[in-house]
Amino acid sequence: MTALLEPEASTGPAVWRSPGRLSPQRSLALCAIGALAGLTAAGTALFTARGTTTLIVPAEDVALVNGQAIARSDYLAGLRALYDVGPAEATPAQRRKVLDDLVTEELMVQRGRELDVAAVDPDVRAATVSAVEQAVAADALTRIPPPQALRTYYDAHKDRYADEGVMIVRDLVFTPAAAKAAAQALAAGRPVDTVLAQFAGRDSGRTKGEEFYFAARIHLGAALFDAARRTPSGGVSAPIAQADGIHLLQVLKNRAPVPLSYEAALPSVRDDYTQAAVKRLQAQHAAFLRKRASILVASDLK
Amino acid sequence: MGIPPGGRWRAAVILAAAALSLLGGVALAARLVGDRLVVADPDALDPRAASVRLGRAHGALLFREHCAGCHGDDGRGDATNGAASLADHDWLYGSGKTSEIEGVIAHGIRADAPKTWKLADMPAFGRPRPSAADPSLQPLAAGEVSDLIDYLLTVEGRGENPQAAERGRAVYAARGCQDCHGGDARGDPGIGAPNLTDEIWLYGHGGREGIRRSLLDGRRGRCPAWAGRLSAADIRQLALYVHSLPETAR
Repeated sequence: MTALLEPEASTGPAVWRSPGRLSPQRSLALCAIGALAGLTAAGTALFTARGTTTLIVPAEDVALVNGQAIARSDYLAGLRALYDVGPAEATPAQRRKVLDDLVTEELMVQRGRELDVAAVDPDVRAATVSAVEQAVAADALTRIPPPQALRTYYDAHKDRYADEGVMIVRDLVFTPAAAKAAAQALAAGRPVDTVLAQFAGRDSGRTKGEEFYFAARIHLGAALFDAARRTPSGGVSAPIAQADGIHLLQVLKNRAPVPLSYEAALPSVRDDYTQAAVKRLQAQHAAFLRKRASILVASDLK
Repeated sequence: MGIPPGGRWRAAVILAAAALSLLGGVALAARLVGDRLVVADPDALDPRAASVRLGRAHGALLFREHCAGCHGDDGRGDATNGAASLADHDWLYGSGKTSEIEGVIAHGIRADAPKTWKLADMPAFGRPRPSAADPSLQPLAAGEVSDLIDYLLTVEGRGENPQAAERGRAVYAARGCQDCHGGDARGDPGIGAPNLTDEIWLYGHGGREGIRRSLLDGRRGRCPAWAGRLSAADIRQLALYVHSLPETAR
């Protein structure tokens, strides 16, 4: 310690370079460097950070309008939309036009806020609601669903993930007197056209070839579709009375919905899971807003 | 010759100060590089410039943190969940310009963000109402789906049933497919409709079942919007990295 404080030990280039020995010049220099670095960092943060009062336009923006930044990405998008050019190829007039348009738009938006147009304009209100909902949804959309959560979701909603059933069915209509005999003839394997001719029946024409279950349900109606769904391939349904006569369903093919494996359903599961998460977040957000709000309801509506 | 005990403490302080200064310098340099990149025209940047190389290196770190979960560490995508490969020259949206990639990163795809890409969804032709956006669109019959698959395999050069493919061509033309994918089935990068004539499949691997699922269930892949979550400099550097992937991932 004593040796370090000796005057001859504190001077000269050898001491300056030796970290183990005391050097007032080095201390001062390092102190100055530190102060300079600190001031630079603080100045940079102070004058370039978004949201602060600043005299310098941050690099990611092209202008500040009453402190509100106009993003460079919007400027670039404007150049491309208006002139299909990048900033390198744009003429000064094109750049000026796009920038002026953006500044004017920002001024209008700020004035709109002052006038509180959202309070009266339904379009602005709808856009504002949509923007807030989107902002809330962003949290769910940027999160990658954990595989286990997707699996759990799939297990809980398995009925949603199935290959649609398919059927080929002919809807035959007979008079009440002929229906029973026609059913027996069809069940015995007689050709449909022969049975129709023999018992004065007709094909309703409601179905056309191979159809998905949902399409067959729409075409046949709920009652006939239910009967067809329960009839196996190659079978004939029991007679079903309807306003236009007695219906017999000849089912040529009936493949029930096949549940999809987790792997096959994964894209849909991922989408549904994310949508459910978005809805949940939006509902929570709406509940939070209600909770902190003061809401008075007219007495006649309470 | 040895450093005295008090000297060691001072040496440690000096070293720490030097390390902090170095870190500060690196952070400042990174900021300057980021700013320089952000101000430049993204499509006019020289890929050999030091700032671009540094930006890409930082972009690679950001990619691993934010994008690799879906697109994979190597950016080759994942056909099981429709995450596009970013390592080929087949761009689903746009033509692969850095500015276009940047737009997708910033605003996402069907991301519930104000400027997101959301011009078209693949309808679910196996549902009673295939498209919420177009109520006039009717579902396909089971046979039409099968014929359409044969047609799609044919345009890709893998067809095995010419008669079915011919019927499928008529379905393709009449039932709205060509409105998005084009008469030549080469897709439309303006709306993210994939090219159906190449061997690149966004979902599945081009098998009948994968195509069938796309036709029956529809597709509406998503990419989050990172604007507001990442800085403009980060998004630019990420875009530079993704833009470089087709070359570097060979």
